[in-house]
Amino acid sequence: MEEACDMFVRAANMYKMAKNWCGNAFSQAANLHLQMQSKHDAATNFIDAGNAFKKADPQEAINCLNRAIEIYTDMGRFTIAAKHHITIAEIYETEMVDIDKAIAHYEQAADYYKGEESTSSANKCLLKVATYAAQLEQYPKAIEIYEQVGTHAMDSTLLKYSAKDHFFKAALCHFCVDMLNAKLAVQKYEEMFPAFSDARECKLLKKLLDAYEEQNLEAYTDSVKEFDTISRLDQWLTTMLLRIKKTIQDDESDLR
Amino acid sequence: MSSDFEAYEQDFGTITAEVTNKIGRIPKLSGEEKTQLVLNVDKQLEEVRELLEQMDLEVREIPIQSRPMYNSRLKSYKGEIEKLEKDFKRSRIAYSDEVRNDLLGDDAGSSENQRAHLLDNTEKLERSSRRLEAGYQIAVETEQVGQEILSNLHSDREKIQKARERLRETDANLGKSSRILTGMLRRTERGKNGPAVMRSSSRNGFFSSSPVALI
Repeated sequence: MEEACDMFVRAANMYKMAKNWCGNAFSQAANLHLQMQSKHDAATNFIDAGNAFKKADPQEAINCLNRAIEIYTDMGRFTIAAKHHITIAEIYETEMVDIDKAIAHYEQAADYYKGEESTSSANKCLLKVATYAAQLEQYPKAIEIYEQVGTHAMDSTLLKYSAKDHFFKAALCHFCVDMLNAKLAVQKYEEMFPAFSDARECKLLKKLLDAYEEQNLEAYTDSVKEFDTISRLDQWLTTMLLRIKKTIQDDESDLR
Repeated sequence: MSSDFEAYEQDFGTITAEVTNKIGRIPKLSGEEKTQLVLNVDKQLEEVRELLEQMDLEVREIPIQSRPMYNSRLKSYKGEIEKLEKDFKRSRIAYSDEVRNDLLGDDAGSSENQRAHLLDNTEKLERSSRRLEAGYQIAVETEQVGQEILSNLHSDREKIQKARERLRETDANLGKSSRILTGMLRRTERGKNGPAVMRSSSRNGFFSSSPVALI
């Protein structure tokens, strides 16, 4: 039996060398390992199968990775399981473009990481969840995550320089929901974190709030352009700012 | 050939005399007449420059021996033209006050210089502000890169800490297992060598251990 396993593994390696990307050999090896009750080896082979399938067939890869994760969680190795949840989520992000499932996996990974007290890795996953949630207009969730991560970052010497970025994003999400919320939020963050008021992002936020109050589309566009000249706005930021801008336009047309 | 050249020289002489005359008159006039004179002088300067070009071509066709003489003459004419142009520029801007000119000397065309200075300064200011902006952008980018690096470092720190703890645990487990194994080994060795040795060794063990215990 053991020899059979070894043979399968060697065959799979040969396939890899020939670039045939055949994950089947690996999955069969893994099944044999399961029968032999050596869970560790089975899980490792499932991971290899998953990697091989990534190039060929994403769906199969996800299946293999899921089975591997089951085995790991059975054994109580949550860190590794979390890492593989992240891999699966990435596949959903890129090859299959199923953002809901990607979010679900990222959340699972973050939970496992929190269970294992690696808050930093958990925060990384949560940030991704928040980005996608905001894109899908699930604003309350995104706001909560950003605030949580921001407050956590404030306390750490290493992370405090990224705290203002998190508060900025949280305030933008507030803005998309309702302007008053955004105002209150900005005040709250300034209280919590004085350095936030010095940041250029905070100044931009205040200008945007003013422009929104006055329903002044040009002032809004001007301040956004000014910010863009100094530091380029990335895809997510542009989408959010555009949404807010559209609400200004809608309000204008409503008034008429 | 050289006669052409001399004809050009004569023309040159007449036109430069006229130009000098007019330039002398410009500061004293104003308005319509001044603009007219200015146009005239401009035209004549153009003519003079064309003359110079033709003289240049002529000189090239002259045999090499006599060339240096004509070349030097040509150079002096060019110098004259440049001086005339400078005077012309100055005359357009300088005010027509002869007495002031006499007092302050020839270079009383200060407004021209001031203008040039101001333009220079504005340009320098613009250049410096552009450079400052570029520097600011780079600083902001550096800050962002630094943020990422810091967060990566933080998560790596946690991973390393985890790994260290697991290592210490495994170390402890290994220590325990090695003690158990040596214990097992001792027990099997005692069993092998027969009960007598075991009793004596155990009695020795008891005797050695009990006084220590009493104390």
